[in-house]
Amino acid sequence: MTRSTLGGAVLRGTVSTALMASLMSAPALAAPPVDLSKWSPEYVRSIAGTQDFDTAADCGKVTPLDYKGRLTFWYQGVFEGDPDLLRQYYKDFFETFRKTYPNIQLEEQALTYNDLLDKFRTALLGNAAPMAVRLQILGGTEFASKGYLQPLKPEDVGYSTEDFWPGAMKAVTWDGVTYGIPTNNETMAFIWNADVFKRAGLDPNKPPATWDDVVKYSKQIHDKLGIAGYGLVARKNAGNTPYRFMPQLWAYGGGVFDEAAANPTYKDIELNSAQSKAALQASYDMYVRDKSVPVSALTNQQADNQPLFLAGQLGMMISHPSDYNVMLDLQKKATGTDKDKAQTVIDNMRYGLIPTGPDGKRAVVFGGSNIHILKPEYVEGGKVDEPAAKAIICMWTSPEWSLKMAYAGSNPGNLNGFKTKWMKERLDSIKFLDVTTSMLPYGIPFPALPQSPEIMNIIVPDMMQNALTGAMTVDQAADDAAKKVKDLMGGGL
Amino acid sequence: MTIVTGNEARRRAQPAGSSVPRKIWEHRADYAYVLPAIAVMLIVIAYPIYYTIELSFFNTPPGLQLRDKIFVGFNNYTAILTSDVFWQVTFNTLIWTIGSTLISFVLGFAAALALHRDFIGRGILRAILIIPWVISAVAASYIWKWIYHSDFGIIGAVLVELGLTSRPPNFIDNVSTVLPSLIVVNIWREFPFAMIMMMAGLQTVPEQLLRAAKVDGANAWQRFWHVTFPHLRNVSTVTILLLAVANFNSFIIPWIMTGGGPSNASHIWITHIYELAFGRQRWGVASAYSVLLFLILMTLGYFYVRALSGNERKEGNA
Repeated sequence: MTRSTLGGAVLRGTVSTALMASLMSAPALAAPPVDLSKWSPEYVRSIAGTQDFDTAADCGKVTPLDYKGRLTFWYQGVFEGDPDLLRQYYKDFFETFRKTYPNIQLEEQALTYNDLLDKFRTALLGNAAPMAVRLQILGGTEFASKGYLQPLKPEDVGYSTEDFWPGAMKAVTWDGVTYGIPTNNETMAFIWNADVFKRAGLDPNKPPATWDDVVKYSKQIHDKLGIAGYGLVARKNAGNTPYRFMPQLWAYGGGVFDEAAANPTYKDIELNSAQSKAALQASYDMYVRDKSVPVSALTNQQADNQPLFLAGQLGMMISHPSDYNVMLDLQKKATGTDKDKAQTVIDNMRYGLIPTGPDGKRAVVFGGSNIHILKPEYVEGGKVDEPAAKAIICMWTSPEWSLKMAYAGSNPGNLNGFKTKWMKERLDSIKFLDVTTSMLPYGIPFPALPQSPEIMNIIVPDMMQNALTGAMTVDQAADDAAKKVKDLMGGGL
Repeated sequence: MTIVTGNEARRRAQPAGSSVPRKIWEHRADYAYVLPAIAVMLIVIAYPIYYTIELSFFNTPPGLQLRDKIFVGFNNYTAILTSDVFWQVTFNTLIWTIGSTLISFVLGFAAALALHRDFIGRGILRAILIIPWVISAVAASYIWKWIYHSDFGIIGAVLVELGLTSRPPNFIDNVSTVLPSLIVVNIWREFPFAMIMMMAGLQTVPEQLLRAAKVDGANAWQRFWHVTFPHLRNVSTVTILLLAVANFNSFIIPWIMTGGGPSNASHIWITHIYELAFGRQRWGVASAYSVLLFLILMTLGYFYVRALSGNERKEGNA
C-alpha cells in the first residue's frame, strides 16, 4: 500500500471517530487502557511494547495455580484457511495452560467456524454442552437470549470492561447483562495483486477507492487478462459470505436493519432499501453482467479464493492480514515453476482499506470471538467447574494470549494486548498488519440479536444466490430476503 | 414307566387357554433372544419417532429454548404444504430419487449382464467397478466438487483445451445444471450396488432353461426377455426399492457439494430438513417434514417387505 493512500486513510480514520462512537458504550468512554480516539497505525506502533504483563500471576489471583478440577471446553479452532503460525500458537496455549494449571484436567475440542454453531446447538438440546465455549461473535446473543449462558463479565476474571473494545462488549450483552468476554476482534482489509493490476492497465499501487471502482476494475482485469477480477464469495452457511458482502451493503448505505447507525434499534428492515439493492446490484453486475468474478463463487468460500490468488488467477479479495502468511505457507508447498509464480504473487501482494460506497462511507464487519460459561443444567454431568472455567478464560483473554492467539489473523480482544512486546514483534513481522488495524474504527458489529446467525448465514447468502443465479431479479431477491427477515423477527414458522 | 420326550414335555408345560398365548409360550425362547434388540430399537427408534411427531405440532422460534416451544397444532404442516420451497424441494427430491434409482439400476444391470459372461480380466474389472461404492461418500463428494469446479475443474479444463468451449461449463453453480450434475455423482457411486445385487440374481437363473431355450431356437434377446428377466423380477424389485429408500434419504453428496444451493436448486428433503433444524432451529417445521418423509419411506418399506415375502413364498412353493 502506498504511504499517501495510507496517510489519507489514517486521516479519514481519525475523522471517523463519530462512527467509532457507535462501538462505544458509556462505561467504555470512562478509562480504556488505550486512547481509542487516537487510533491509527502510528498510535498502535507507539503503544506497542510499552507494558509487561505476568499472565500466570494475574490468573493465579482469579483461580489459584494449584487448583484441582476438571474442565470441558469447546472452541472455534484453526481451519484449513489459517496459517501454520496460528496452529503453533494454539498448541502453545494449551501446553502453557496445562503447565500453569497442572491439576486442572482439561478436555478441549476444536471445531471449525462452520460446524461449531450446529454442534453446540445440538449438544445443548441434549444437555451435553461443554462447561465453557469460545464462539464466533455472531453466536453469543442467541445462546444468551435462550438462557443457556451464565452471566460473565471481564471483572469476573480479573479485568475491567474498559479493557475490551466497546463494540465487542455489545456483542456479549443481552438485555443489559454481560454473558461473555471477547477473545479477539478483527477487521479485514482489501488485498490486491499489483502485478495483475499493472498488466490490466491499472495503477498497481492504487486500490479501488469505491465499490463502483471494484466493479470496474474487476471487469477490466477479466477483459484484459481473462482471469477473475474480484474474489466474490456467496456460499450459503459459510461465515465468509456475510464478512465480505456486509461491508459492501453498509458502504452503499444499506443494511439488514439500522445496525450501521450509531445507536441501532434493529426495528426497521432495510434489506430491500434502494441502497441495499444498489449493493446487491454491484454483485450482480460482477457475476452476471460482466462475468468478472469466479463462477464458483456460489459454492466457494475464502479458503478456495486463496489458492486462486496465489496462482495469479484472482486480482482482488477481502481478507485478514493472515492471508499473507497463508500465501507464504502455500508457496512453501508449491513445486517447480508454480513456486516461482507464487513468489511473484507474494511480492506483488498489497493491502489497502476496504473501498467506500458512493457517499464515501467505509465499513467492515467488526468480527471476532467471545468466550462463555454454560449453566450447569445444560452441561454433561450437570456440573460446571467455575474456577477451572475462569482459569482458562482469564488466560485466553489476557493481554498476552489474546494477542498471541490472534497473532496473524486478528487483534487482541483485550486492548492491553496492544501494549505488549508481542504486539511490537508482530508489527515488525506480520506484513500489512497496520492496514487491518486501521480498519478497526470502521468496524460494524453484526446485529446483537438471536436471529443474527440465520440472517447472516442463510438469508443474506440466499438473497445473493437468488439474484446471481437469475432465480429472481435483484429487486425480487432483496424483497424476498426482507420478507424472510420480517417473518423471522415476527416469530414465524 | 412312561418316557416323556422333549416335545411332549414342552406341550405338557404349556398353559391351558387360547392358542395365541400358547404359541407365545411355545416361542418364549425366541422372544427372549430378540428382546434386547427390541429394547434398543424402542430407545433409539420408537422414542425419536414419537418425539418427532410431538415436535411437529410446535413452533420453535430461534429466541426460545426447545422446552419453551409453542403449540401450533397443524400449522407446521399447513405452512409446509403451502410454501413454494416445499414444492421446489419435493420436485428436486423426486427428480433426484427417480433419476438416481432408475439410471443406477439400468447401468448396474447392464454391468452385471456383461460381467456374468466368462472372459479374461473379468475379476479385475468387477473389482474396479466396485470401487465407487466402497469409497467414502464424503471423500468422493469433495473429489467430484473439484472435478466439477466451475473455474478450475478438470472436465472444464479438458473441454477448453480441446477447443470445445471457450469457458469451462458451469456444473454446480447453475440452477439448471446442478441437480443433474449431482445425480451423475450419485449414479457413479450407486450403480455398483445394483450390479452386485443383479450379479447375485443372475446366479439363480437355471442354466438348463437357457440351454433349452437356445435349443428351441430362441435368440439372445428372447432368452433374456423370456428366461433371464422373469427370474430376476424379484431381485430387481428389491434392488430398486433399496436404491429408492437410500436416495430418498441421501444427504452426503448434495450437502457437501452444494449445501442445497445455489438458490435451493439442489435441496432435497433430507438436506432441507437438516438446514431447517440445525441451521435455522425450526425444529417444529423440520419435524413435520420428517413425519411426512417417514410416511413416504414407510410406504416404500411396505412394498420392500412385500417383495421379500413374495420371494419367500415363491421359494417355499418351489
